[in-house]
Amino acid sequence: MFKDRSKEKRLVRAPSDLVSKLNEAANRQGKTFYSYITEILEQAVRAYEMRRSLKEIVDGYEVLEVHKEAGTVFAPRDILEFLLREVQDEKDETLQQLWYQSGRWYGIYLRSRSDSPVDAFVRLLQEGRWDLTEVTLRQVEKGLDLKCVSAFLSQERSMCLQKFIEGAMISLGYKSQKNECFQGIIRLKFTLSES
Amino acid sequence: MKERRKMLAARGNLADRISEIAARRGTLYDFVNDVLEQAVRAESLGLSLKDVLDNVLLINAARDAGFTVIPERIVRELIEDAYEKLGKRKMTEIWYETGKWYGNYYEDLARFENSIRSFFWDISEFGIDVQGEGAVLTCLSSKFSEAYTELFSKFLEGALNAFGYNLNESEVSKGIISLKLVKSKVE
Repeated sequence: MFKDRSKEKRLVRAPSDLVSKLNEAANRQGKTFYSYITEILEQAVRAYEMRRSLKEIVDGYEVLEVHKEAGTVFAPRDILEFLLREVQDEKDETLQQLWYQSGRWYGIYLRSRSDSPVDAFVRLLQEGRWDLTEVTLRQVEKGLDLKCVSAFLSQERSMCLQKFIEGAMISLGYKSQKNECFQGIIRLKFTLSES
Repeated sequence: MKERRKMLAARGNLADRISEIAARRGTLYDFVNDVLEQAVRAESLGLSLKDVLDNVLLINAARDAGFTVIPERIVRELIEDAYEKLGKRKMTEIWYETGKWYGNYYEDLARFENSIRSFFWDISEFGIDVQGEGAVLTCLSSKFSEAYTELFSKFLEGALNAFGYNLNESEVSKGIISLKLVKSKVE
């Protein structure tokens, strides 16, 4: 006969300080430490089955929290594209300015919240549901080279996002040196701002 | 200084699975360390790890369903301008048709309701109460402008229409949507 492993217990070694913190959390929630740890380990398995690490998932959740703080909302992509097509020609400058200001807000927010705000901003672009399929940041001589690629972004939305990125990077202490923006491709070079 | 360690009791089959996963990535100790660190991080956000995973899964579903993010101020500005330029009729038609598409996409009313609650965090209250052959939809948000409220009500009406409900009565004013619907006889 096989033993039923779901009824057996096994001991796993873990850092003492983390065990103490989680023990306190289990007590606060009125759960036994055993059931609390079981829930945590089940989520680790769930994340693995989603082909993500728990760290990536918690990072992704933090990005959503930044969006909420910033007053960023979800909207149907088709409607947004339609509105931009209809309005952008006449309101081009106003819209670009709004995106730029929004980027500035994100940059200031991340600067106050993160020890490495540029990395946090790149993560925000990667995980932030902007419809970007690739975001890469490279250190180059005297600055940074940022490339964003998307199969979904129209020319109008690419331009808006470019302004957003420029605004954020200014708040993070970088000025734009060169930019290229086509449908679905944004390439920006930044140098450290002297101010 | 050497790190102090403690022993944790875990369910046998779960510990086996964790060991298997850890073996692909490094040591069991390092893997468990990372998992517990993330649990502490989630706690500091006021959530359990399960809540965090549930939320992220729902938001991933938003992307799959064709939702994208935009600063609220900009979407409101776009709507006000387009409303003025294209007129009420054209704009409501677009939102209604888009809602209908989403209704067909979600197929299940409870899933649609849950998704709206999760994606639209600018909505303070949202619910669809189905009673017999009728349904009452309530949506409240202090952040909606008058034009946006009207368009969003059309989006919801379109979605409910895809679920086989027709509008019977509506009350729509800035930030308040209340729709009474009845199940259509012929689907």
